[in-house]
Amino acid sequence: MKIQSTNQGDINILELSGELDYHSSPELREKLTELTLKQAPKILVNLGGVDYMDSSGIATFVEAFQKAKRYQGRLILAALTPTVRGVFEIAKLDSIFEITSTVADAVKSLGAKA
Amino acid sequence: MEKRFELNASSEVLSPLRKELRQMLSQTGWEKKTTEEILLAADEALTNIIRHAYQGKPGKIAVSVITADDKIEIVLEDRGIKFDPTQVPSPELPRHKPGGLGIHFIRTIMDQMIYDDQDPEVNRLRLIKHKAKI
Repeated sequence: MKIQSTNQGDINILELSGELDYHSSPELREKLTELTLKQAPKILVNLGGVDYMDSSGIATFVEAFQKAKRYQGRLILAALTPTVRGVFEIAKLDSIFEITSTVADAVKSLGAKA
Repeated sequence: MEKRFELNASSEVLSPLRKELRQMLSQTGWEKKTTEEILLAADEALTNIIRHAYQGKPGKIAVSVITADDKIEIVLEDRGIKFDPTQVPSPELPRHKPGGLGIHFIRTIMDQMIYDDQDPEVNRLRLIKHKAKI
């Protein structure tokens, strides 16, 4: 899996590509922990390039989501592929997370500030 | 068709095994969505063995995949700590804490999850899914 970190104003964007499983999720967990430790207010994860995800991936997002919530931060997951969306649905977590169809929608929802 | 894989209990084996299974399932006429779900179920079972039966220590896992016209059976065998996943209660969903979803995924996706306890030294888990009748 590849993770690319960028910023758009005050939004921290993680762009993921490849497969997110028990092998690759520790790397994502590390990146998200870095952001939640410094209390990043707006985190956007672009999942458009992720074609596979297991429960380790879900657990990584649940952990980051809970941490961000504690300091009133926001975490949005954007551009989920049908396979990845299906995993959120089986876990019944699709209504808990903030999920947007596109990255542009997520940026709009978070409201980037310079 | 039957194929047997002898794997090390390491997370590095997950992706290559998925690739093999994806190919087998596509050759036997499973639709893409169901294929990805079956891969997820097998992956979760394998991850549980690596994490819980071997607890990150070295070990071996045998995975047999048996495909027929109307069903697939995946048999996972390990010699780690004895553990019967069929006895794990279903979690309340949605879970607000990380973890605890792997067995729920297997139960939801597969038609049968059978734990065979006959050999005192081997965990043997059978995952079976039938093709939907059109």
